Amino acid sequence: MTIHETIKEVQEQFKDVLKNARDPLMLEEVKNTFLGRKGKIAGFFSMIGEIPPDTRKEVGKMLNELKRSLNEQLELRYAEFQSEKKQREQVDYTLPGYVVHKGSRHPLTQAVDDMLSIFKRLGFDIAYGPEVETDWFNFESLNFPPNHPARDMQDTFYTEGGGLLRTHTSPVQTRYMATHEPPVRIVAPGRVYRNEAISARSYCLFHQIEGLYIDTDISFADLKGTIELFCRMYYGKDVKIKFRTSYFPFTEPSAEIDVSCFLCKGKGCRVCKNTGWLEIMGCGMVDSNVLKAVNYDTEKYTGYAFGLGVERMVMMRLGINDIRILFENDVEFLRQF
Amino acid sequence: MIVSIDWLKEYIDIDMPLEDLAEKLTIAGLECVVKETGKSIPKGVVIGHVLEKKRHPSADKLSVCTIDIGIGNPVTIVCGAPNVEAGQRVPVATVGTQLTPDFTVKKAKLRGVESHGMICAEDELGLGDDHAGIIVLSDDHEIGKSYDDYFSSSLVLDIDVTANRPDAMCHWGVAREISAITEKPFKKASVKLIEDGPEIDSIAKVQVNALDGCPRYTARVIQGIRIAPSPAWLKNRIESIGLRSINNVVDASNYVLMETGHPLHTFDLDKLKGHEIKVRFAQKGEKFETLDHKKRELSSDMLLICDKETPLALAGIMGGIKSEVNDNTVNILIESAYFTPAVIRKGSKLEQISTDASKRFERGTDPNETLVYAQNRLAALIVELAGGSIAKGMIDIYPEPLEAKIISLRYDYVKRVTGIDISPENCKSIFSHLEFTIIAEDTDSVTVEVPTFRPDIEREIDLVEEVLRVNNIDKIPSMKKLTMSVAEECDKFHPFLTDIRNFFAGHGMHETVNNSLVSKNTGDAGIWGYTPLNVLNPLSKEMDVLRTDMIQPLLATLRNNALKKRTNIRLFELANVIEKNDHVDTHAVEHFNLGVLCCSPLWGLNWAEEDKPADLFYMKGILDHFLGNLNFNYKLKENTNRDEFEILYDIVIRKSLVGKIGKYVDGYFEKLQLQYPVVVMELQISKLFNWYNPRQQYIPTPQFPSIFRDISLVMDKKSKAVTILNEINQHGGKYLVDLVLYDVYIDDTKLDKNKKALSFRLEFRSETKTLKDEDIDNVMNKLFERLINQYGAQLR
Repeated sequence: MTIHETIKEVQEQFKDVLKNARDPLMLEEVKNTFLGRKGKIAGFFSMIGEIPPDTRKEVGKMLNELKRSLNEQLELRYAEFQSEKKQREQVDYTLPGYVVHKGSRHPLTQAVDDMLSIFKRLGFDIAYGPEVETDWFNFESLNFPPNHPARDMQDTFYTEGGGLLRTHTSPVQTRYMATHEPPVRIVAPGRVYRNEAISARSYCLFHQIEGLYIDTDISFADLKGTIELFCRMYYGKDVKIKFRTSYFPFTEPSAEIDVSCFLCKGKGCRVCKNTGWLEIMGCGMVDSNVLKAVNYDTEKYTGYAFGLGVERMVMMRLGINDIRILFENDVEFLRQF
Repeated sequence: MIVSIDWLKEYIDIDMPLEDLAEKLTIAGLECVVKETGKSIPKGVVIGHVLEKKRHPSADKLSVCTIDIGIGNPVTIVCGAPNVEAGQRVPVATVGTQLTPDFTVKKAKLRGVESHGMICAEDELGLGDDHAGIIVLSDDHEIGKSYDDYFSSSLVLDIDVTANRPDAMCHWGVAREISAITEKPFKKASVKLIEDGPEIDSIAKVQVNALDGCPRYTARVIQGIRIAPSPAWLKNRIESIGLRSINNVVDASNYVLMETGHPLHTFDLDKLKGHEIKVRFAQKGEKFETLDHKKRELSSDMLLICDKETPLALAGIMGGIKSEVNDNTVNILIESAYFTPAVIRKGSKLEQISTDASKRFERGTDPNETLVYAQNRLAALIVELAGGSIAKGMIDIYPEPLEAKIISLRYDYVKRVTGIDISPENCKSIFSHLEFTIIAEDTDSVTVEVPTFRPDIEREIDLVEEVLRVNNIDKIPSMKKLTMSVAEECDKFHPFLTDIRNFFAGHGMHETVNNSLVSKNTGDAGIWGYTPLNVLNPLSKEMDVLRTDMIQPLLATLRNNALKKRTNIRLFELANVIEKNDHVDTHAVEHFNLGVLCCSPLWGLNWAEEDKPADLFYMKGILDHFLGNLNFNYKLKENTNRDEFEILYDIVIRKSLVGKIGKYVDGYFEKLQLQYPVVVMELQISKLFNWYNPRQQYIPTPQFPSIFRDISLVMDKKSKAVTILNEINQHGGKYLVDLVLYDVYIDDTKLDKNKKALSFRLEFRSETKTLKDEDIDNVMNKLFERLINQYGAQLR
């Protein structure tokens, strides 16, 4: 490569990087690379001794010319930045920002996510089941014999062909156990359906989260410890929890769980109807008939199950007194979350 | 269920505050609250004595009464009631009495006669609906006394009894619970029965032809009774728990029911053909009119109580018109029976009748001691209240007695289940207060005979629950050190969904949760063309199938929002859609889908840009970003099957249909007067999840500079951009890394009116060297040639 070509290439390179320099800081860098003490031009000058003496003078002149030209271009660019800065000062920066639409998550799915993330920390896997269920999984396997009054606790939608819309997430228990050997530690979120007239207090569908833990040596005390931990993680460490006996066909013993009202801290208010307590979930030790239905060894294995209604918890939390609001999807409601 | 505190005190001493009692019962499994029931009469209403009644001088329908209200001089009251007579004791609202918030009794002139008060009818005092006449009281009401003194409000427990506890659906049951909790004795009254009538077999017969529905049937007969109103004590008891007092026999029957929990039925013996009871199942189609005056056509699952010829009652559910006890009844037959719970429940469901009796029978009553006690108690009570004599003996058909269960409880099992030690003494004390008989015991266990009024106790675990609940389940300590079995599987689906939700929310969409139950029309309109699955017992016609796509419910939500004049509607939802499929056991295949709908400006009013609608290109951009994030390559194929769409594409990945994206014809929503086009998208998320392969290894970042080439092509207006894009992508050579269509130019003055100009920027880069113009000149030339020859493009 002749010296002419080399100089030409450096000029081209310089033009390129100069074009790409977006601010004075980058310009400084360009200056160092080309015109600095250890820059490219300095490099050329240092090699001038290796050039044959007859052309040395001419080359020296060319290099000086190059150096001058680069400096000039740099100065011009500096000047440009100065004037751009001045221009900027004339823009009205108090104008509002460009429009970026705000989206939102539905409070129900947010609550489900929040709760599941707690259960995941407690080592529960997540399991799923169909919404259109068989009578066996929804009722019989869960110790609801045909013509048993406990079936009245859950008004059921029946579908053509002999199926039904699951009335709770509990069938996921037996579905999961039917295909997995113990130990089992799962939570199952999902939609459930009840054939009840739609009103402020009840909707034909809602969301539940079911929990199930089956292993050797599981006692009611384990259940209590787990639920208490969940409640503290969800409601805060000062929450108080109360267990009281209840009845579900698929657990024995069964209990309802109340937590101290998060709004009034148990003093009594509108949300807790002045009781200081809020009913949040049902639970119990899995009935041996359920374990038998999935051929588990009932002498060896015990376990607990629990289930909570997401709508109820969300309504209490947000002060919503009509469940239909959650399914109306008014964008003015949705955008609040 | 309501139980009266006063009434409970007949069986158990209650000395703790009622709120505490309710709390303790609630924790033990009888969820209850304390309430006050009963009537209160406004102050100022007193007992008056009608001394004289005269016709009003100028109004036929009014009378002028002189009434002693116990304050010296009698008062004059003008009364319009037809039934007022001299000599009656009546409630009088004196001047100044506030009867309702907006009505105070004042001195008034009625057609010229001054009236100093008002004689009251039932409705005016809130005692009932009757306005036909004034209330006439018995002579034992003291003149001048406040009428309110004759009403006692009473304290009750309102209990939500769970389905497994038929035994607790009565005062005895609640008293027994209190006994176990407080360790105070539970007292039952003994029955004194004098059988001074003829032998029962000579006057009545019972035949049970359906032992599987009616394992036990007993009957007693009382002759010569006199139907009358109930005495005050019984009336008070009945009314204190919210029932209506009818007459002495009906009230007595209800009293024993609410006392013991055992339902009883009384028949007018003289109305039974052949003085005979037959228990049998109905013939299919057999007709019967129940007490509620409904004519019913029965199924063969219905158990009937009949006489020699016709049905008298739906066994355990409701009586009939024909054999009802009325004011003329003199001889009665009392039925106390045990019906099989499942049979009663089936019948009650079939005929959609739920009564105090059916609720108890279907949950399981006591076939033994309580059944007989209730029979004897009612017979004795009726004789006490209505006279008559009880026939000798009781008919009792009970060929196969139901025996009490015998169950052992191991103390270490209690510990295993609960995690705590409960002492043997504690266990035994609880059992005896609950009337379980201890029949054997040793140091490790206790064996009890479970009374037959507790059908819920079947196994050892049930005994554990008894011990636990009476002891206060809340006292079990929480495990402070939790065990955790490590799950072998680790769900990835939920996090996948959460990411999708956050993606769309982050792109300005609002997440919705829509009803899965939709109308048949909506189900049929689904974008996938699935057959909808019918709900057999829908709440309404608007909800008689399950949705077959996500888009239709989102359209409904759009409609609801548009009717409220909401704008900027950008919605999405993740949920199941249901496809009817007869090859699976539930006849339903569930697809987990994402639906997205926009009817919104791209930006809305702003200072920087002219506003545009968020149209199909907006949705395509979202789709591209979304699938790009998941590393999916996809194709769009135009779908021309749906007329309601201006444009609809199938979204295809791996040659499989995974979604739809489209824009509705503007006129489709004419009535809603929308300001923006409606664009929608639906994707099958379960498919994407199954295929999704997160990036495993990073791709080294570019080390060499890119070269850019811009080209502008003048094309036929009808030609499609996608064709050119595909062409360039396919033939752009190995260095082409990006292609952007950055301008579409249409100007009939500068271009031929059948032409448009498309501008593209191509980016070339090599992983191994700095590209020079020569490296791509060849490719570009060939590309121009193809575009010119094959697509008639011209360089601009």
